[in-house]
Amino acid sequence: MRKVDPGKIKMAGIVSIVSHQFKTPLAIIKGYLEVLLSGDCGEINVSQREYLSDALENVKRMSCLIENLLDISRIEEGQFKVKLRAVALEKITEQVLKNLSTWIKANNCDIVLKKPKRLPRVLADPDKICQVVQNLVTNAVIYKTSRGKVEITLKKVNKEVLFICKDNGVGISRKDFDRVFSKFYRSEDAIELNPSGSGLGLYISKAIIELSKGKIWFTKNKKRGTVVTFSLSVAD
Amino acid sequence: MEKKKQKILMIEDDPFTRKLYRNKLNLAGFDVDEAISGEEGLNKVRAEKPDLILLDIILPRKSGLDVLIELKGNEKTKDIPVIILSVLGQVQDIKKGLTLGAKDYLVKSEITISEVVAKARECLKNKKL
Ligand SMILES: Nc1ncnc2c1ncn2[C@@H]1O[C@H](COP(=O)(O)OP(=O)(O)OP(=O)(O)O)[C@@H](O)[C@H]1O
Ligand SMILES: [Mg+2]
Repeated sequence: MRKVDPGKIKMAGIVSIVSHQFKTPLAIIKGYLEVLLSGDCGEINVSQREYLSDALENVKRMSCLIENLLDISRIEEGQFKVKLRAVALEKITEQVLKNLSTWIKANNCDIVLKKPKRLPRVLADPDKICQVVQNLVTNAVIYKTSRGKVEITLKKVNKEVLFICKDNGVGISRKDFDRVFSKFYRSEDAIELNPSGSGLGLYISKAIIELSKGKIWFTKNKKRGTVVTFSLSVAD
Repeated sequence: MEKKKQKILMIEDDPFTRKLYRNKLNLAGFDVDEAISGEEGLNKVRAEKPDLILLDIILPRKSGLDVLIELKGNEKTKDIPVIILSVLGQVQDIKKGLTLGAKDYLVKSEITISEVVAKARECLKNKKL
């Protein structure tokens, strides 16, 4: 463990130390569950499999939460770093959609991606932007009450590339367009539709976009739902 | 003669927690009904007259404590025993729950599922006398 003078650590520092210490036991639990599920310790029946899978899913949920808390404490200590380089936003978006495709289908949602034939690369940190795209897409898929239709558009406007994600979900009222970016904020709708969310995704996404010198904001979808847009500078 | 099963209403928003307790309580011979928000919980209490309520505190729209206040303030529902089952374990949370009329206050991380079932049994046994 890091050596620290206990008198000197700020709250954010405590969060970061404790979060790191959570990681080891969690990784162990995850590993044990995976071994049990693999059948290496003997065959397991259907209901045992179901219980073990639920346990594993919740361990992963906790790992995610810890990663988010660590990001937040880094952001607040000014330690959150992005390494900007030229990246192809459409490649990142396609990759995220591919990774999530099974989950998106299971969640009763169709997604289309619209992009021009040629799109310039943008200045960004690929891993971090991947995190942003993933959070925006998950939000668009989850926060709905009927079949989801999500449209993602990439386009160049002046010296920027815009990522625009339009959904037909429950929407956000205009007065909350800023509030959704604050830590832990979750609407009543959201709590009901997705009890396991933490309300940290947009806070972290905004930090990432702003550190990449871009902007992120919400607008209303004319018909129903929400439009979230972020902009990043063209690299080349 | 077939004994009528006693009915427990679980007001809890987390699907995994519901599944866990539903299965265990069913095995223990109870009928289990579920509500995922405070509002839905109150409606179900009125409609289904459960013998016991397991109540979570952090719930969407209406908190468990508000539900408890409404239940205890109504002639028709004030005698239904309520056991609070929450992640909140600070002394002041527990005091508040008990002052508002809960039979018991169980902290999720400090109690096993079997103990919850035992508490429910105990509560319902006393109720019959
Ligand atoms: N596409 C959307 N449609 C409707 N509401 C949304 C949408 N995106 C975000 N929100 C609202 O903004 C809140 C904050 O979103 P954010 O992604 O930060 O957290 P979360 O999704 O609740 O949890 P997590 O940290 O797991 O992502 C949501 O809880 C929801 O109320
Ligand atoms: Mg989110």
